[in-house]
Amino acid sequence: MTAVATAPVVRTEARSRAHEIWRIVRLHAVNPSIFFGIPWMIIGAAWAISLIITLIIRAGSGGDVTTEDLDNMRYSWAVLSPQWYLVVVGVQAIGFTFSFALGFGTTRRDFWVGTSVMFLLVSIMYAAAIATLVQIEIATDGWGLGAHMFDALWYGQNWFLDFYTSFALQLLVLFIGASVTTVYMRWRMRGMMILLFTAIALLLAAITGVTLTGSWPSLFAWFGTIGIAGVFSVVLGLAVVSAIVGYFVIRRATPR
Amino acid sequence: MTGTVVRATGLTKRYGSFTAVDAVDFSLEENRIYGLLGRNGAGKTTIMQLLTGQLFASAGRLEVFGREPAEHADVLRRMCFIAESQRYPEDFTPAHVFKSAPWFFENWDAAFAEQLVSDFRLPMKRRIKKLSRGQLSAVGVIVGLASRAPLTFFDEPYLGLDAVARHIFYDRLLEDYVAHPRTVVLSTHLIDEVANLLEHVILIDQGRILLDRDADEVRGSATTIAGPRNTVEAFVADRPVIGREGLGGLASVTIDGRLDQRDRIQAAELGLELAPVSLQQLIVHLTGTDLAGSTEQENAA
Repeated sequence: MTAVATAPVVRTEARSRAHEIWRIVRLHAVNPSIFFGIPWMIIGAAWAISLIITLIIRAGSGGDVTTEDLDNMRYSWAVLSPQWYLVVVGVQAIGFTFSFALGFGTTRRDFWVGTSVMFLLVSIMYAAAIATLVQIEIATDGWGLGAHMFDALWYGQNWFLDFYTSFALQLLVLFIGASVTTVYMRWRMRGMMILLFTAIALLLAAITGVTLTGSWPSLFAWFGTIGIAGVFSVVLGLAVVSAIVGYFVIRRATPR
Repeated sequence: MTGTVVRATGLTKRYGSFTAVDAVDFSLEENRIYGLLGRNGAGKTTIMQLLTGQLFASAGRLEVFGREPAEHADVLRRMCFIAESQRYPEDFTPAHVFKSAPWFFENWDAAFAEQLVSDFRLPMKRRIKKLSRGQLSAVGVIVGLASRAPLTFFDEPYLGLDAVARHIFYDRLLEDYVAHPRTVVLSTHLIDEVANLLEHVILIDQGRILLDRDADEVRGSATTIAGPRNTVEAFVADRPVIGREGLGGLASVTIDGRLDQRDRIQAAELGLELAPVSLQQLIVHLTGTDLAGSTEQENAA
């Protein structure tokens, strides 16, 4: 009786499966509007609006506008506009693409590693692009109008710092969206509620602790000493933690 | 040579207090077409999700291609499962699905997929979200056929398909199965549509297997006896009754099991009519709760 003998399996899987991981990157990129098209449209629209506002300021002040006046545009958050959308991209990568990839016979491990590679590549691309656009804006004296879109907030010190901070922020935004969604995919609504209330409780406990010990000044002093690069190293650290937690959570997650 | 592709022992899946799959035992042999039949919510999709490693079993043992399927790349790459309620990445179109499929299925036949797309008249550039139910089913059917995975699942492939499309699926599956033998599992509650396609039937209801038999055996396994009520009741008195219908003094009773030559002659002499039971009728008798309930009571009486 043949039913007794199980068909022998030739095990061909390797420990590092470059093909299996790279195809997840390709799957995320097969519809390029998600990771590339829409974010660039948002950046483009924010840029256009920034320039129009600059023109309105110039027209409204009758031509005697100073560079100092326009420097107030440094407080515009336009340069961060695609970040909000990219949180959603992180959520959808797990909420939709994960279920689909499982149907196509991927392991959860390969999916998460492939998704992380995609996030890394996307973050490098946007960080390099933003850092370069900051330099172009400075070189062209605000696109010839004194406008500040990219050379805003903490940006504009040097290319490498701009690249590093953008990269860290980008990675955090994508991994937070993705790893929180892995909690949903594994424990559904109950998991999300526990996560939410735990996060609120921890935040309140931290605020209470700092307030009671009167250590707000020393906390701000610490942020002052570590500087912009230090603060974004903390951001990068959070992104790495999200990535590692997401890996362990998704290993037992189930599709919807 | 045939081998066992799937072996499940005591396979169980619980969600809280609800048991979706209740300690089922079954095995799937290589290169056969299986029908996973049952009513909505019987546990068909759960079983397929367990076999493809999408869900983790609560209890029991499961071997697919010789090992636990979940997280084993060498097992998973031999399977294709597009669920009836499959989720697709945001803003995906059928074109995206068929472009990425060859990266995941080593036997993918792009020419065959293209042929099927034109057979089913599937709009390639329309978003998946905007497709009709039948077009959505066609996407799953095309992936299932063109992937030529050694173990292919079709989850409710007939949902929303028109008569022509159903016929195309039927023909293409048989042709391609003959040319490229593989193990196929068809889950459906539309039994008449697939009855002739199936080689083996696994019938599940409320998470349990009611029937696990060769399709040919199932087709001849039940008989309906019709005639005057008293004569029919006398004839079936010591036989396993699975369904009963009556109208006035006439009765029609379905029994599980074949009638031999002697029984047939006796029935003819009594003036009773014998009729074969279709797969669908048999399954209605076996899974119709009301019918089954009343039958048990009658048997007990």
